[in-house]
Amino acid sequence: MRHRYVGIFFALLAPALACAAPNPRLTLPEFSSLAKKATESVTITLDPALLAMAARFLDASNPQDAAARDVIKGLQGIYVRSYTFDEDFAYREADIDLVRNQLSAPGWNRLVETRSRKTHANVDIYIMVDNNQAIGLALIASEPRQFTIVNIIGAIDLDKLHKLEGQFGVPKLDIDLPKAAAPNPPK
Amino acid sequence: MSDDFESQLRAALRPVAPSDDFTPKIMARIAAKRRLARRAWWIPASLAASLLIAIGAQRHVQESRERENGMEARREVVEALRLTSQKLNLAYEVVKSQSGV
Repeated sequence: MRHRYVGIFFALLAPALACAAPNPRLTLPEFSSLAKKATESVTITLDPALLAMAARFLDASNPQDAAARDVIKGLQGIYVRSYTFDEDFAYREADIDLVRNQLSAPGWNRLVETRSRKTHANVDIYIMVDNNQAIGLALIASEPRQFTIVNIIGAIDLDKLHKLEGQFGVPKLDIDLPKAAAPNPPK
Repeated sequence: MSDDFESQLRAALRPVAPSDDFTPKIMARIAAKRRLARRAWWIPASLAASLLIAIGAQRHVQESRERENGMEARREVVEALRLTSQKLNLAYEVVKSQSGV
């Protein structure tokens, strides 16, 4: 009888804890109307199983593969939606807002917000931090002819992203990261 | 009565010469049994070989499918990181141009 009460207690507690824990996974809309209009669309959905599989096929002797392998270590998911159009602003601002609204949820911190009047390229980078460790990254890039959303789940080491410089064309960002987002220093 | 029985027994047990085709029939039977024995050895062997080939082929298909999926996942990881880096680069360029660095 006592065990039953303990079971009921944990059954009630589990959803409450799940609600309380920050969730870095964004609900990405279908964007089917955008996909129809786009000249090129990229849909990448990599869950933990696929990431583990990819890691097995990344060649450690190849510098690019080794860097990618290092970056995805500790990640639980990579989700990318990118659409390229042959005319300017073929997408609606409301399409972006569907995702941007989710980033106002507790846990998300805006790391970078860039607005270019010259190129009309806007990039927002958000990060979710839990226990001094970045557990999620969201990137929304809207350009006149391209619209990209990246959602990375897991222990993101921004230093490793810096180290990708030269591998995938990642620059060294001269942006001060919030202390909470910085990876834990080695002991 | 006993004489009668004896004569019946004698008649029943009298030596009978085998027919002319007795020996060829026996030899044919022996040959058929030998052939069957030889064939019986091949049947399980060929079944085992077929089974091994089937398992090998299935494994090969499974491995090649796994490899195909793995390479596709690898390609997607590289593409995802390339796109992410490209957009980080874009943010960096905007920040750089605005700060006049």
